[in-house]
Amino acid sequence: MAWAQRLLRIDRRVIFLLVAVLTLTFVLRPVGLAIRVSPEVRSIYDYIEKLPAGSVFLLSMDFDPASKPELAPMAVALLRHAFARKLRVMVMTLWVTGTGLAEEIVTSAAREAGKRSGVDYVFLGYTPGTVNVIINMGQDLAKTFPKDYYGKPIDSLPMMRGIKSLRDVQYMISLGAGSPGVEAWYVYGKEKYAFELGGGVTAVSAAGLYPLLQTGQINGLMGGLRGGAEYETLLGRRGVATAGMDAQSATHALIIALILVGNLGYLASRRRGQG
Amino acid sequence: MIFWKRTLPLTITCVMGVLGALQYYVPDPRSEAFLTGMAEWGRIIGGFAMILGVASLCHVHWGKIRRRAAGWGYSAVMYASMLVTVAVGLAAGGLRGPLVEAGTRFEWIYMYGMVALQGTMFSILAFFVASAAYRAFRARTAEATVLLVAATVVMLGRVPLGELILPPFRALGGWVSFPGIGPLSDWILNVLNAAARRAILIGISVGVIATSLKIIFGIERGYLGGGRD
Repeated sequence: MAWAQRLLRIDRRVIFLLVAVLTLTFVLRPVGLAIRVSPEVRSIYDYIEKLPAGSVFLLSMDFDPASKPELAPMAVALLRHAFARKLRVMVMTLWVTGTGLAEEIVTSAAREAGKRSGVDYVFLGYTPGTVNVIINMGQDLAKTFPKDYYGKPIDSLPMMRGIKSLRDVQYMISLGAGSPGVEAWYVYGKEKYAFELGGGVTAVSAAGLYPLLQTGQINGLMGGLRGGAEYETLLGRRGVATAGMDAQSATHALIIALILVGNLGYLASRRRGQG
Repeated sequence: MIFWKRTLPLTITCVMGVLGALQYYVPDPRSEAFLTGMAEWGRIIGGFAMILGVASLCHVHWGKIRRRAAGWGYSAVMYASMLVTVAVGLAAGGLRGPLVEAGTRFEWIYMYGMVALQGTMFSILAFFVASAAYRAFRARTAEATVLLVAATVVMLGRVPLGELILPPFRALGGWVSFPGIGPLSDWILNVLNAAARRAILIGISVGVIATSLKIIFGIERGYLGGGRD
């Protein structure tokens, strides 16, 4: 039964090497496996699709660079959709370390869609206060963010005409990597100021938000790279999330194979011990 | 001293806690103004808390360097990184203009330093998850086996490869059917997982209410810190 012991003692460096090789192979050469769209992602897409042109859409990128691979593709896909639907887009972040990243994402998406800052979209940036920012935005948006990220007074921007508080927002999505994130926007925002709310989170956090989804506290949920890939599928435009799904498929398959190998070795050695 | 260190903070906590809770049930402009004022104060205090955080960080790491404690070199790297970032940030415009202005050296540090390093730290998770799953996911008990099966179904159902190799099927005139690994994974997340998470959420919420009441009425005083009166 030496083979059983060998199955239980695979060197962790071998596992690391396998993960690296598989990930690199499929990132560099994606095969393009078909992606099924889940109802929770479709409901976000459908809601934006039904919003009339000129509706106010608020996107809060509540994440830092650590979660960029999972959440940035969602932000890009949502902005592409919102710009295509001619919505008035407000972008902000509750995470100071995510400010530069959020700015880069919104600027490149706007440039691609031919949208102008202050006219078609506004980037509010970051202001300290976490959940207090949400409460203040619900009361008076211009007082909370007197200027946009580039220093222009909010009141002077054509895009902000008629937008006084969160009550004027038709749809809001928080892409959250932790706290403050989707739950904070529900508790301090939607619940009080009555706008529709959707969420996008990292894969590890997604399982925790399903109760909010079922009760209608959020109208849709995108989880991890898969959520971004599903949205890209709905837009009919493949991006980095879709490309990354092949690598994720391969890595998940490897993990399952390793679990099977480990259990095979464990059961064989246990049977030997009983004998 | 007991008045400043205990009586006054407890009184402020009690009054603000009761007002904060009552505000929620009073639909009056004065109540809204109170909420706005409190939120503004919260943001101001949050801004100062950042300064306190930086001061605390410097204090802890300076102590490590001075004592030559294990890993003191990392503390030195922290100091060097922080000072370089602050210096470059001030030189790139400081408090004027955007936080991370495009085309500046500060933006370079942010995009090619912080973004790359944080991304690397998070990506290491994939390697450790693979190694940990191999070592820890063993069918030792019935409960562990249930967890193992559920995890395997969700892992397969959340990726396109799983849906390709285990698609939905019907056999024997509909007597035997399988919804596909994807919908099965969705069912686990939406029904079993959501039920468990909801129970946890309710438990946490009740705990938060109980702790809040204990703090408001001065029963829980841990936040006042230790030390003599």
